Amino acid sequence: MNEPITNLWSIPLLIVIPILTAILVNLLYNKANAIKTIAISSSITLLAIALISPFGFQWFTGQPGVIPGGGYTFSADIFAWRLSLEYYYGSLQQILIVIMSLLLAFVVFISTRVLKKNFGTYIGLLFLLYTSAAIIIMVNDFYHLWIGVEFGSLLVAGVVAASGESISQKAALKYTFFSALSGAGMAISLALILGLTGYSNISDAIRFMSNNQLGGMSGVLYVAFGFLILSWIYAGGLAPTHPLKSDVYGAAYPHATILLQTQSKLMLVAMGLIILRLFSGLPFAKEVMLAISVITMMLGVVMALLQTDFRWTLAYLIISHSGLVTVGISLGTVAGIIGGLFQAVNDIIYMSILLLCCEAVLYFGSGTSIRSISGIAKSSPWLTGAVIVGALAASGIPPLNGFQSELILIQAALGQGLPEIAVIILMVSVTTFIALFKSIYSIFLRPADQTIIVGKPSADATTTGLSPVPKVLFLALAVLIGIAIILGVYPNLALNFLNETAMKVVYVPWVP
Amino acid sequence: MEMGELKGARGIVALVALVIIFAGVLFSFLQLNGNVARGISPEYNRLAYLEAPNNLASWVYDLRGFDTFIETGVIYVGAVVSVLALGRGIVKVKGPREEEPVPQTSFDFKPDTVPIILKYFGLPAIMLIVSYGLLIVTGAATSGGGGFQCGVIISSAYLLGMAIYGKSNPLNLGKKFLIGLGSIGWATYGLCGLPGYLATHYWQYNVGADLWSSYPGFPGAVPEILRTVFGDPFRLALVLKEGTFYSSAGIVPIINLGEAFNVIGALGLIFLVFAYGWSDRKEGET
Repeated sequence: MNEPITNLWSIPLLIVIPILTAILVNLLYNKANAIKTIAISSSITLLAIALISPFGFQWFTGQPGVIPGGGYTFSADIFAWRLSLEYYYGSLQQILIVIMSLLLAFVVFISTRVLKKNFGTYIGLLFLLYTSAAIIIMVNDFYHLWIGVEFGSLLVAGVVAASGESISQKAALKYTFFSALSGAGMAISLALILGLTGYSNISDAIRFMSNNQLGGMSGVLYVAFGFLILSWIYAGGLAPTHPLKSDVYGAAYPHATILLQTQSKLMLVAMGLIILRLFSGLPFAKEVMLAISVITMMLGVVMALLQTDFRWTLAYLIISHSGLVTVGISLGTVAGIIGGLFQAVNDIIYMSILLLCCEAVLYFGSGTSIRSISGIAKSSPWLTGAVIVGALAASGIPPLNGFQSELILIQAALGQGLPEIAVIILMVSVTTFIALFKSIYSIFLRPADQTIIVGKPSADATTTGLSPVPKVLFLALAVLIGIAIILGVYPNLALNFLNETAMKVVYVPWVP
Repeated sequence: MEMGELKGARGIVALVALVIIFAGVLFSFLQLNGNVARGISPEYNRLAYLEAPNNLASWVYDLRGFDTFIETGVIYVGAVVSVLALGRGIVKVKGPREEEPVPQTSFDFKPDTVPIILKYFGLPAIMLIVSYGLLIVTGAATSGGGGFQCGVIISSAYLLGMAIYGKSNPLNLGKKFLIGLGSIGWATYGLCGLPGYLATHYWQYNVGADLWSSYPGFPGAVPEILRTVFGDPFRLALVLKEGTFYSSAGIVPIINLGEAFNVIGALGLIFLVFAYGWSDRKEGET
């Protein structure tokens, strides 16, 4: 299953290249052309590395594993306690990082086209956001997981605050404040696990827990579980902290929200799998995770129905669909985990389609509220087509990708004897459809209201004051819609990447 | 959130949650008392001294050095985000009219009111503090302390200078310089991983100390030139009656310098911008 190589060349590059790019573009600050060149080349390089990389481990700093009987090894095939910080790049990591790299490339292209000067810092933050997500999905070490989450939380606040508006700054401040509490909680959890096992490597800690009777310490395990769940809830925006994350999604520019929601989904997946690997043996652990996921799904979709602004509808739907991802993982079965992981992949894709359409609406100059803009279908039929496809995919309509993952989730729930979960998933799909089409009808399909002055973003910017919708946005839409259709028709293209991870989590949890 | 909001049911829920959390943590630590598993830590202790007499430096910057690299990033990003909140790097979409950025105010900073005696003692105090910071960072591989500590100490000297003398203080570090220093610091730390990566594909393998390349099964080899360039400048001799033993901290002292630059740049920038606000105008322009 795992490749034994412990010095995989690609892993450091996926972390260090975006960091060096971020440092450089932050220094360049307002040198727009140089920033564009560096950022675009760097994002394409990352995509290429993610695509061609083989699988394997990276033992940073090249310290060996300690063989229990004596001696050292540099092979991951031999059982040994890890001295180095360990990352793993496997099939799950590949599919998620490839998608994230593709989205980073599109977001960087769009940002450098539509933003005014001084965007070096902002582009730098986007690259670092990518880094934080890549760290969390590849790392197999508690301490570094905590650093990754801390790093990521701070970056979320930065990306949101970058628009300088009062609503963004408030959202960023609230998020930063709670991140401090959550980070402290996670640190306590990891300290307890370290105290119990003595290993910061996740695989080693799980092996230690499997080989040693920790029955007398089950109370400590429960407390550690509780704090880790708290961090999971916070990092992914699950209930009851969902208002913090929805504020973040709604207050950021939609193109930035594409990366923010991707980072959240990756955190949910990575931390959810780690919690399962560590604590699935604890009574009630999966039930607690499942309850949180179901509440998140329902709260998110109800809140989405109440919104009158397309941005905020999407913000709450992202929350709700995060619950769909975690429902699958929380079921803890192979089918459930596959469904959860596939849902994460699909969710990232169709939410990105919808967010790109929302970004395009912004360029019409009348905001994204259903009361302030209408009749876009007439001037932009392609955009209208794209938003409808995105909405259908999000609502689980065949033959689009959302249908396949929701079907697997429903089957997994039924397989576990939980028909009520299957019914809730169906309800979420239907409600998603209603919430999205309320906005889509008002903004795109409803005839233009003469009392609302809507600009024409494709017109000459010097006379209208509005910029054209960048062509790269349409290219991104075309690519993502293509992926949504392909995964809807041939789901095995993604499922082949996810099966192995699900099997490992259930049957050999100490293998990353 | 206003404190008044914590009255009533919400306050009771918050109180109960706090009590549960406190009881859980207390119970766990009591249970762990005397039962902490040593796990991997004896192995770290066994190997650390082979690089540097300061075990902590070996752990933090070598054995777990990549952790510290990202942690260094937390400091860098903390500064970037704090300064962004005050105006540097705020972005706007071309075309659509958006809300103006929230106006920022700087502290009411009046160094003119500082007593004259403080001004006389300020300069020697700053010189001493900076010297202490340099002492810490240059001896980081052999004694306690390192880049973090040096950075904090020197940026404290900068803050003291601003408090006593204002913006034109003896250290006189400008915003552009501080941003550059922080960036160079983090980039230096990152790039210290490159020689090891090129030689062995292990990022941040310490080519100067080179503990493992001769061990059976180690993938890759460290060229002599890398061992010399990164190892010899920091090689130490420990003279004992059993003989003289040599060790080198390798890239650890360079990482410490990068760390120090990063912390001075990050903290200095936060101090400067919080005290005087941010303006995109060049320094010296009105």
